[in-house]
Amino acid sequence: MAVFDLPGWTGLAPALILAATALVLFVVDSISPRSTNRAVLAGISVTGALASLAVAVWFIAAGVGQSGLEGLGVIELFDGGAEFAGGSQFVVDQMALYFMIIVAVVTALVSVASYDYMDGHTYQAEYYSLMILAATGMSLMAAANSLVTIFIALELASLPSYALVAILKDNRGSVEASLKYFLIGALSSAIMVYGISLIYGATGSLQLDAIASELAAADADDYAYDGILGLGILMLIGGFAFKTASVPFHFWAPEAYEGAPAPISAFLSSASKAAGFVIAFRVFTTAFPLEVTAGLIGIDWTWAFIILAIVTMTVGNFAAATQDTVKRMLAYSSIGHAGYALIGLAGLTVDGGELVMGAAMMHLLVYGFMNTGAFLFVALAEYWGVGRTFEDYNGLATQAPVACFALGIFMFSLAGIPPLGGFWSKYFLFTGAIGVGSTAMLVVAAALVVNSALSLYYYSRLVKAVWIEDPLVDRDALTQPTGLYAAIVFAAVMTVVLLPAFGPVSETAIEAAAAVI
Amino acid sequence: MEGVFSYAPAIAAFPLVAFVIALAFGKYMPKKGAFAGIFATLGSLVLSVLMLVAVASGEVYHETLYEWAIGETPSGIGGIEFTFGILIDPLSALMLVIVSLIAFLVHVFSLGYMNAEGETGLPRYYAGLGLFTFSMLAFVFADNLLMAFMFFELVGLCSFLLIGFWFRTRSAPSAAKKAFLVTRFGDYFFLIGVVAIAATFGTLQFAGDGSFVAAAEAAMDGTGEAWTPAGIGIESWVTVTGLLVLGGVIGKSAQFPLHTWLPDAMEGPTTVSALIHAATMVAAGVYLVARMFGYYALSPTALAIIAFVGGFTALFAATMGVVKDDIKQVLAYSTISQYGYMMLGLGVGGYVAGVFHLMNHAFFKALLFLGAGSVIVIMHHEQDMWKMGGLKDKAPVTYYTFLAGALALAGIIPFSGFWSKDEILFDAMIVGLEEPVILAAYVMGLLAVFFTGFYTFRMVFLTFHGEPRSETAEDPHPVGWSIKAPLIVLGVLALVAGIANLAPVAKLTGLDITFLQGWLDGEYGAVEGLTYGAYSDLLAYETGVIGSEQLTVLLAAGLSLLLAFSGAGLAWKLYNVPEPVAHKERLGSVRETIEANYYQDEYQVWLAEGLTLPFARAADRFDQTVIDGLVDGVSTGSRSAGSRMRRLQTGIVTNYAALLVAGFIALLVVLGFLGGWFL
Repeated sequence: MAVFDLPGWTGLAPALILAATALVLFVVDSISPRSTNRAVLAGISVTGALASLAVAVWFIAAGVGQSGLEGLGVIELFDGGAEFAGGSQFVVDQMALYFMIIVAVVTALVSVASYDYMDGHTYQAEYYSLMILAATGMSLMAAANSLVTIFIALELASLPSYALVAILKDNRGSVEASLKYFLIGALSSAIMVYGISLIYGATGSLQLDAIASELAAADADDYAYDGILGLGILMLIGGFAFKTASVPFHFWAPEAYEGAPAPISAFLSSASKAAGFVIAFRVFTTAFPLEVTAGLIGIDWTWAFIILAIVTMTVGNFAAATQDTVKRMLAYSSIGHAGYALIGLAGLTVDGGELVMGAAMMHLLVYGFMNTGAFLFVALAEYWGVGRTFEDYNGLATQAPVACFALGIFMFSLAGIPPLGGFWSKYFLFTGAIGVGSTAMLVVAAALVVNSALSLYYYSRLVKAVWIEDPLVDRDALTQPTGLYAAIVFAAVMTVVLLPAFGPVSETAIEAAAAVI
Repeated sequence: MEGVFSYAPAIAAFPLVAFVIALAFGKYMPKKGAFAGIFATLGSLVLSVLMLVAVASGEVYHETLYEWAIGETPSGIGGIEFTFGILIDPLSALMLVIVSLIAFLVHVFSLGYMNAEGETGLPRYYAGLGLFTFSMLAFVFADNLLMAFMFFELVGLCSFLLIGFWFRTRSAPSAAKKAFLVTRFGDYFFLIGVVAIAATFGTLQFAGDGSFVAAAEAAMDGTGEAWTPAGIGIESWVTVTGLLVLGGVIGKSAQFPLHTWLPDAMEGPTTVSALIHAATMVAAGVYLVARMFGYYALSPTALAIIAFVGGFTALFAATMGVVKDDIKQVLAYSTISQYGYMMLGLGVGGYVAGVFHLMNHAFFKALLFLGAGSVIVIMHHEQDMWKMGGLKDKAPVTYYTFLAGALALAGIIPFSGFWSKDEILFDAMIVGLEEPVILAAYVMGLLAVFFTGFYTFRMVFLTFHGEPRSETAEDPHPVGWSIKAPLIVLGVLALVAGIANLAPVAKLTGLDITFLQGWLDGEYGAVEGLTYGAYSDLLAYETGVIGSEQLTVLLAAGLSLLLAFSGAGLAWKLYNVPEPVAHKERLGSVRETIEANYYQDEYQVWLAEGLTLPFARAADRFDQTVIDGLVDGVSTGSRSAGSRMRRLQTGIVTNYAALLVAGFIALLVVLGFLGGWFL
């Protein structure tokens, strides 16, 4: 069965499968309200996520989005027919599929881990269906090709997330974090939607390709809407910064990640962040070509990302260095990693940048495993009830060596120690940034190195706590929840095996980046 | 005979096995591991003799056994290979026999000296001896400079372990440390030299077409290429690298100014001293010069320095030996002095003479030390010669063998030491007639003969002649056959070993009796390029004669004999009396200087304490304050910055909204201003 035999709308199959899974979960919930049959619920979620993953991998392997003889070309959807020349609302290309894969993998991992974590909680069906709905939104974000679909997909991802953070209804921290998340989210969405309206005002279009052609047709010497367009772009960046937890739109992240159940923190900090990046990548490479836009608004928009990248990685890492609780440390480290990924946009140039953007995409993939794994270890610790601070984690390795070994892999990979996956993606980011050659990018590269060095401090602090320190109190024997263990071990294995697999991964990522630029 | 070479590695392996056995099972064995060592060294000796016979039948052995790294050189001349290999040619075969023979005799002697005296820690002692012998044997048959360096270091380690054998005393560990550190100082230069030679020529082999000697020769001819730093000429660079390697030699062979460790090393058991002085540690340095003599032969400057240092050390150490009261101390300074002669001999191009003296010295110095050990046993561990006397009649075997060694040391005809020392002095003289620097070295060497004769017989007379000067001397402790047998073997060798190369006789009579010269010249078999003849072709020295060659030979021999006899005669006159008294006071202020060993220790201690220590302290302070401060400052700065970042997160959502908007506006202002949006 070849892909081109299928109708066009099946191009969105990875997202549609997730949507269908959410509906199945609703059906189960309506048949058996307040069901606590975790096996069924988690099973459906995992099956849906894996099916979505399988389809996405199949598409990418079959050549969707690749040009040339072998490739099947980009699938354009909902272009409104011949009489409406607005362009497609969704596009399924390599980048879209690449990020769909990341979302599906993280969703699957989190679903497996949640099987144990949600043991004894109420609202099981709601939990899974909200999560799958959010994943649907993220998957759609990867393919959205118009400011409208982008906004809708983004809201589809955000709204379930607010509810998910608050799923521990009796937990004050969970509810408070959710409210803050929601308020900051509302503010950010408002800013973004206003930005969209300004861009529509300046260009008369919402579809990304249409915006680009509108800008290309404009007279650069006498352009009246430069302020409006610039402000609109900047406000759009605000919306993306919220989704990727970049400074200054990051304030929700530490609280939400800390208050939420740990699997949800993993989900939000890995998949949601990756989805935020894919729309940023797509909008800025498709709708606002660097040279044309710079001619109109008088400045390269990469400057905004250069500033954001440096500030974000610095704030994230420095704040992480002084945290006492592990989860909050990971939350700030997640902000720091958003800063690293922003280099992918900061390093774009008129005649290139696919290397640095491909590196950012690679980093997001590796990050999807190592960060998810790290948060799942926190989930495991919460499951055991050992406490929240570094000291509470002391000496866990004697009781749970396998999980703690995996934790060591996650931490050292996050810090970028060779030969783990995190090292290679950071290395490509670094060489990509250096390769651009401008002074600003050298500063960015230097910031990357300094922040990575600092990050080793707090990551290794956690490794030291579990492996070297003696426990403060005597603990009872720790159980070994199968689902959590499976997810953690799988994430650890992937973090390691991405090393030999880095050839194809980097090829795919750089190709995907080159295709959109 | 060729098949015998496949057993070559076993020569070194036997003592290594003995080391392991003594260490692991010594406690449970009769004689605490002594027999393991004796059989191992006997095995090594037998195999070494087989090697000697094989070489005599015209075979040589040069084989790479193990290759452990291959690298690039800055010169780009091929890839450099680091290997372990064995080279058995006339020189190494001879040295293998000497080393294993001395080691065997020392092991036997130890039965009487250590076991019979009820020492504790014997397994450790025999393990140390085994490892020491292993290291030295492997050093001797090493076929490349790096392997030689590694075993050179191992030899140093073993001497540290054995000198510090009585580690509960105060002086022994200190002496061991001193020996280790001083020789290490020299080895530091050696290591740099090894690296420099490897980088220059891309090879570290001693022999064959791929050797660094051949490469250096080719580079100097202009037929080969070599890398030199900063464009230094290849001649100068060969000199520099040769001198760097010489640093290790000077440290190990106790040449001025790194000789200070050797007298202190007497803190070890006397048997260990015998091994160190005769066959292993100290011999290693001179052997290394002989081993890579072709390289030094390329550099007249390096040779002249070797000769001058040797001549100076010979005289310098001999004068210090004159005033010592401890029998072992006298012997220690005589060792330094005698190795000075060997360096002098090698430095003037007398390759055969130097090796000849190395061999003879090994026999008579081992004999003297073991004899001294015997005296110490007899005297109930008393070492002060002023408390001895009159032992001649009570311990005849010890006396006559010791006398043979003393005659050899003093260079009295016809004992072995005379022949080799005379050959060295003759070689130095004929070169010195043309080269003023060598002449100065020769004169110093000649003067040292007088002092050697004097201190040697002062020692003999004080120890064995006259009336007993203490109760123990009147009632000596008997010694067994394990002590006497090695003495007799060595005593005979000290008497007859000179036959190996009766050069003066040959020159006067024209008889072909210079066997050693023929041996080292490859008459029986040798590796090409490693022969006396090949070395002589490389040498740039011119030689002169006084009158005819025969006259020169007679003059040189007569002069040194005259001085030796006058030194010995003075000692006879002063000390061969029933009640000898010290005559040191007559020397006046000179005595103080000599007794203080020319303040060599003082200035070296000053170098360490007055110069190096303050510098190290300053460096430490720099590290502690500036470097650490910088590091600490960075971390403190990061942490305070971190906690400030953390304080941004107040927990109040309105603050977040305000900060978010403020941050956004700041970004807008910056970009808008740069982009000109507000105009």
